[in-house]
Amino acid sequence: MTVTDEALNFGVQYYETRLGSYDETLTDRGELLPHWQMLLDSLDMLGGDKLEQRRREAQRLLRDNGVTYNVYDELNGTRRPWQLDPVPLLIDADGWEKIADGLQQRAVLFDLIFRDLYGDQRLLHKGVLPAELVYAHQGFLFPCMGLPATDARQLALHAVNLARGPDGRMWVVDDRTQAPSGAGYALENRTVMTRVMPELFHGQSIRRLAAYFRGLHEGLARLAPQRRDDPRVVVLTPGPFNETYFEHAYLASYLGYSLVQGDDLTVRDGRVWLKSLDGLRQVDVILRRVDDSYCDPLELRSESGLGVAGLLEAVRHGKVRVANPLGSSALENPALLPFLPGLCRYLLDEELKLPSLATWWCGQPLERQFVLDNLDRLLVRNINREGGSATLIGDQLTSAERDLLRLRILAEPHLYVGQERVSFSTAPSLVDGQIVPRHAILRTFVSLQGDGEYQVMPGGLTRVAPSEGTLAVSNQAGGVSKDTLVINNRPEPHVSLWLQPQANQLIQPQTRALPSRAADNLFWVGRYLERTEAVARLLRAVLQKSREVRQFGEAESLGCLQVLLRAMTHVTDCYPGFVGEGSEDLLNDPHEELVSLFRDADREGSLAYSLKLFQLTASSVGDLWSSDAWRLVNALEEEWQEASFSQLVDEDRALFHLDQLMLKLMAFNGLIADNLVREPGWVMLDIGRRLERALASLALWRATLVPRHPKGVAQQVMEKVLAVCESLLTYRRRYRSFMHLPTVLELLLLDKAHPRGLAFQLHQLKNDIEVLPRSTPGYRLATDQRILLEAETRLFLSDVTQLATAGQDDGVFQALDDLLAGLSQALWNLSEDLTLTYFSHVQGTRLQQVEVQNEA
Amino acid sequence: MLYQIEHTTLYEYQSSVSLCHNQAYLLPRETPSQTCLTSELRIDPQPSDLIERSDFFGNRRVYFAVEQPHQEQKVTMLGQVRILGELSLFSSGQAISWELARDRLAGDRSRNLLEACPFLYPSRHIPTSPALADYARRSFPPGRLLLDAVKELVARIHCDFIYDPGFTTIATPLDEVLEHRRGVCQDFAHLAIGCLRSLGLAARYVSGYLETLPPPGKTRLVGADASHAWISVLVPGGGWVDFDPTNDQQVSEHHLTVAWGRDFADVVPLKGVAFGGGEHKLKVAVDVQRLE
Repeated sequence: MTVTDEALNFGVQYYETRLGSYDETLTDRGELLPHWQMLLDSLDMLGGDKLEQRRREAQRLLRDNGVTYNVYDELNGTRRPWQLDPVPLLIDADGWEKIADGLQQRAVLFDLIFRDLYGDQRLLHKGVLPAELVYAHQGFLFPCMGLPATDARQLALHAVNLARGPDGRMWVVDDRTQAPSGAGYALENRTVMTRVMPELFHGQSIRRLAAYFRGLHEGLARLAPQRRDDPRVVVLTPGPFNETYFEHAYLASYLGYSLVQGDDLTVRDGRVWLKSLDGLRQVDVILRRVDDSYCDPLELRSESGLGVAGLLEAVRHGKVRVANPLGSSALENPALLPFLPGLCRYLLDEELKLPSLATWWCGQPLERQFVLDNLDRLLVRNINREGGSATLIGDQLTSAERDLLRLRILAEPHLYVGQERVSFSTAPSLVDGQIVPRHAILRTFVSLQGDGEYQVMPGGLTRVAPSEGTLAVSNQAGGVSKDTLVINNRPEPHVSLWLQPQANQLIQPQTRALPSRAADNLFWVGRYLERTEAVARLLRAVLQKSREVRQFGEAESLGCLQVLLRAMTHVTDCYPGFVGEGSEDLLNDPHEELVSLFRDADREGSLAYSLKLFQLTASSVGDLWSSDAWRLVNALEEEWQEASFSQLVDEDRALFHLDQLMLKLMAFNGLIADNLVREPGWVMLDIGRRLERALASLALWRATLVPRHPKGVAQQVMEKVLAVCESLLTYRRRYRSFMHLPTVLELLLLDKAHPRGLAFQLHQLKNDIEVLPRSTPGYRLATDQRILLEAETRLFLSDVTQLATAGQDDGVFQALDDLLAGLSQALWNLSEDLTLTYFSHVQGTRLQQVEVQNEA
Repeated sequence: MLYQIEHTTLYEYQSSVSLCHNQAYLLPRETPSQTCLTSELRIDPQPSDLIERSDFFGNRRVYFAVEQPHQEQKVTMLGQVRILGELSLFSSGQAISWELARDRLAGDRSRNLLEACPFLYPSRHIPTSPALADYARRSFPPGRLLLDAVKELVARIHCDFIYDPGFTTIATPLDEVLEHRRGVCQDFAHLAIGCLRSLGLAARYVSGYLETLPPPGKTRLVGADASHAWISVLVPGGGWVDFDPTNDQQVSEHHLTVAWGRDFADVVPLKGVAFGGGEHKLKVAVDVQRLE
């Protein structure tokens, strides 16, 4: 191995805890721990360049898999790729044992507190917990009182942020209980790490994560009030704009649950139902990622569009369980921390195993005085996250600010806590090609498992501070994550999510019910996919033609180009453009308008717009795609970013990007055709594709073939139209060198075997529509069937020779236009009818009704 | 005194409503000074699911759902309530200064005062603020008896603020009410409660009815009444005492209580979430009749 200067500055020889705080790699006597020694040695072997390569490879995998963390306030789009540091955090078996034990105890304790606060409130009556600490916290929801009607454990999930203090002990920084996130990211991190750092997983025995998810799966099933052997579990997400949406889709897909939004669910008959393509399906358990107060507009926040009206009542009925239970935000209260040791003794008769960050609640006189006396040394937090002031760091305030804070604490002392500022431990992290210490926080995950006990994920999500010396660690602030490896003393058997059936057990197949909203989205995925392709193909033809015009300058070519430009406006529906008054100038100098149609993502109908909507609809049904499909969706996005940021000055670059785009669209189409099971989801997507392909073709033909052109122009136009419709080769083979409108029409309109032809689209639509679930039995045709039958009949009864005949003075082929316009209208009607019949989640506006009290 | 109450709410929709979930606080609760003899809800169309439960504050909460398509929904509460004589308003146990009341509320967490705790802090429609405390302060000089001070505060609100049904929306923010000095009974109750809580006192929102007497010589108009709201303030050791800021009254045998909570949001007489419907019209008719 050649030793370069860089390698000398790298790894174990260089790594030292320059921050002077406790470091993960060292014992309390300052000796390097053996497992870290092994890791740092192997990183040394690898060298800085290689490690940086691995980091990039990990980043590529994460990006390709669509692992994102949405950030609301970014200028360029809202998605940020998830950042993974290839240097993991290591925890040895004994150390982990203690942590896991403490976490288990904490989950048991939090569950008991939760059940008490929303139950008989013994803790308040006995004075173990001050009442104002509970009631003044916005997370305590009065309508949820009495909800936990059973004696069984309620809290299904508990996430705890841990950090190691200067004394080497793990401290709890805070708890997440209402909709804890991160477990899915931890799993994805591990998946990527086993690929990019395989050597880490060979030498030592590392605890696997799969068993945790299997336990979670069983634990959630066990929550079901009935039908515990085969319950329907759904993941309730706020939607694709939520910051952790990737994780919602990923977990739903990994655990085999339907991913739903509030509108997908409805409460009837005291139960919760999933509105699926083939009717209502009862839901037993809701794994929710929507915050408490947004879950039910009837009883909680009425302005919430994310929840399910009547959900609380359904929970009271005992017909559905929500995980975590509604109201669990009451536990995300920092004022609880100082009371936990006492609560633990009172409720469990045990000492609290994991200490929390030293916290003083100002609701008590002595503690208040302590906080006021030490304002410059403490963190001060409002117990309500919406309380306006987040965390304040005493010595970063001006003296005026500190006085104001003092007044606020004195005015409402019960709303404030002071917290010790602990210097957390550092862990080796790869930053700019070097291993340096960074402060780290470990998020751990606890869940109920099949036997009703709590299990701890062996590992978790480690996040490191973005810069040296910074203690603040968060995803919002752009932190980097790490895999967390728990080293095992003994090898661990492989665990999979698959269950082993009993010898004679026949498993009933259960197709995951397709939510109506997902069906709607898939329909639009199909439509935008085709619309993007249609615009890209036409744009390519326009650019090629315009190059020809520049090179040869023929009058016919120019005429043809202008026809294509007008078609561009018609097909994209971007009027006035190249059509109508004032279009002369544009036709002579089309550059600017073409650039806009190419990359103006805010312009409806443009290529960029269609592509954007394709990605949006595709990612909102993220749980339905395979990882390959995800990769393609993301590759398309990337391709596009490159294309739209490069200045479209020369045609060559634009043509290159269009070719690339087309290739990827083709790949996506191929994937759909080859890999998607022919379930209702595929059918919806195919209907969208066929419908859009037919509509786009009709618009193109009406713009190009209907007007009469001079002979030379007409031939060029027909040739280009055939090319745009991917039909030129077939035409040449079939009709040799005769360019003639009736034969062109025959191929494009009537040939049932031609996958780009109109007849083919109508035929496929008919097949697709046959398999849709229907409520009208018997022999009567439904509206959609009737529309298609009529359209097809009209098409096949037409005579191409007649269509291609026009009177001497006519500027257009009137019969052709009538036919194309009629078919176009029929397809629009079909689209509307399908929307009405199958996407009924659009239930019309939701009304809030409240009566004001207004007596004089 | 025995009263008969009829409270009808009618929703008329422009287009069909497919599903509607509702929550009603219409059935009168029991109080130390009132018993509810009969009460029933008549709902048209027939709800498919109706259940009455007692909520955290002991109110009678009703949930119902109408799951068949409808273009009109009518909810009527019919009930008889007996007021148990006049309460002596100022008993000796209630003669404590407002500062003493405040300090006991802040320090004492015995079982009796635990009940007050939810009513000490800001709630959905009622923030606490220095502005509210400032407005209240004039009526709360050092050493004044709590109930005297509240009585004056309520009188000042009655005097300073204009009753204006055109001004208010479902949730007029208190600072707007304070700035423009107008509102309806709901706003005045919120305002008074906000003032009291800003001083560290416990106050709750009471929803109910007020018997209106026709002007001398005129006959009573049936159905011309409305639902009403007032406040209740806790005297530590002396129980809750009601005041009506809209009418500058101590609450009398003409006030019929339905429910109480931290503010209007806890006890909305009837609210719902409907799917479909388009525009809708709301008609409310209340009739309070004294039977004996």
